[in-house]
Amino acid sequence: MGLAILLGIFSLCVLLGVPVAFGMGIAAAAAFFYEGFPLLITFQRIISGVSVFSLLAIPFFIFAGELMLHGGIAARLVRFASALVGSVRGGLASVNIFSSMLFGGISGSAIADISALGSLLIPVMKEKGYRPDYAVNVTVTSSIAGVVIPPSHNMIIFAVAAGGGISISKLFLAGVIPGILMCVMLAIAAYILALRHNYPAEPFPGMQTVLLTAAAALPGFITAVIIVGGVLSGVFTVTESGAFGAIYALLLTAFVYRSLTWENFITAVVTSVRTTAMVMILIGCAGAFAYLLALYQVPTLLTDLLVTISDNPFVIILMLNVILLLLGMIMDMAALILICTPIFLPIAREIGMDPIQFGIMLLMNLGLGLCTPPVGSCLFVGCAVGKIPIEQALKSIWPFYLAMFAALMLVSYIPAISLTLPGLIE
Amino acid sequence: MSQSRARSGLGQCLRWMSGASIFACSCAMVVLVAIFGWLVFGRYILNATPTWVEQLSLLLVVYITFLGSAAGVYEGTHLGVTFLRDGLPRPLRRIATLIADTAVAGFGLVMMLACLELFEFGWSTKLPMLNVPESLRTLPALLSGGMIFLFAGARVIGTVADFIQGSSRAGEEN
Repeated sequence: MGLAILLGIFSLCVLLGVPVAFGMGIAAAAAFFYEGFPLLITFQRIISGVSVFSLLAIPFFIFAGELMLHGGIAARLVRFASALVGSVRGGLASVNIFSSMLFGGISGSAIADISALGSLLIPVMKEKGYRPDYAVNVTVTSSIAGVVIPPSHNMIIFAVAAGGGISISKLFLAGVIPGILMCVMLAIAAYILALRHNYPAEPFPGMQTVLLTAAAALPGFITAVIIVGGVLSGVFTVTESGAFGAIYALLLTAFVYRSLTWENFITAVVTSVRTTAMVMILIGCAGAFAYLLALYQVPTLLTDLLVTISDNPFVIILMLNVILLLLGMIMDMAALILICTPIFLPIAREIGMDPIQFGIMLLMNLGLGLCTPPVGSCLFVGCAVGKIPIEQALKSIWPFYLAMFAALMLVSYIPAISLTLPGLIE
Repeated sequence: MSQSRARSGLGQCLRWMSGASIFACSCAMVVLVAIFGWLVFGRYILNATPTWVEQLSLLLVVYITFLGSAAGVYEGTHLGVTFLRDGLPRPLRRIATLIADTAVAGFGLVMMLACLELFEFGWSTKLPMLNVPESLRTLPALLSGGMIFLFAGARVIGTVADFIQGSSRAGEEN
């Protein structure tokens, strides 16, 4: 009965449009009340769920991403990518994907990626004769690389939702090859479409320009090196490296690039505060919700249910992918990481899947959800930046979905793709 | 006339509260980055770790989370699944919105009352390293609960008032 109250009230809240965090809080409070716990236990759990040292990295990552977005780092990366890969057929699409790989790796946010790169590249692509829906679709789908290429604050949310015991350094490393694979798949799809639409190639600007643009982009790229390198080398904790990365980004954009104005700084602070509060309250409420899921043994019940359908790990992995993809279509990423991890991770462990591989698979699935309607925040932002209706983007996005799905399947069924690099630091 | 003036006065007051919350959170964010910079500098350059930084950072994050999420209720920036509600016919959509706002207001009220109890409990206990009452950690949740109640409650009152005004106008026209 308690489980029915928990899930029933949560589902009702979601259907009515109550914010997901409060939906989880209301459902948890009702279930605690039903079980005879004092109500203040709910809020004690929410507050203690937020006061976790490793979670302090999240505001730093978000702040660093916002500083890069408003501080001119993206523009330098685009110039470098343009010089390096712009000369292939449909060159601007390749520039877009390669820039996403670089910028996503630094900012760790798909939305920041679209806002920064989309506003730079989509107008140029349209001007050069690329179809607007093609330009938007390339930008939207390639931005998902930011979710898996380190550093990504979503990885920290996953590690926390998994209840500790998962190394963030290993997660960071695990995301590199899947992120690159996703970008390669997207580049192939974009290239095939570019041939079909006869899109032009940009002239090669020469090695000197490539080197000059690389030198200009390098200080920005060092932000990612500081964050990831600091964690991997064990010099910094993930929180310290996030803070150091944010301070470096602030100094770089304010004093070296001199592109961070006072207004941009205030915008970056206020936007980071809003995003941090939104993510952290989700984490707090999910802590109380997940406690009850564990109390009612939901993961065990669900594992038993899936095993009755099939005990073949390949089929269960496929089912997990389908469920995550469907959920990703209707709910946003941070909320789903927090809800799905405690439920599905035990199932993945049960069938012998490594938690790190599961984490990357989960992030890729939910990332795909960010560019699918009806709740596809990346798709919406991309269409807004590209000034096209969502229906227009959807008509031609299928080749890109297929490319991402192929990458997802490879990551799901070939553990080596995500586990080789983490295996090197065993 | 006086009713609309009261509504606009209340609206201004709520906007000010939301703005003040965001301002406080923004200051907390800047302090958070600065003290963590000091922590890294102290630990790796001075070889003297300022141990209070971790506790203060955790306290600041609680303030950013709760005050920021209260402002998020006012600004409507929280993540939610609204496409199902948006697809409903207008009268049903208004009812669903009313129920959702009432649920959020109720959650805020319960949070405020429960955190008031936690606040009283924690007054005599001190936070480690900072030597300030544990209640300071509960305070933002208490304030946030109150603000969430006010922000969502004001929306409920607004929707009900619009509904009553609409009905009486339709009655007069008939």
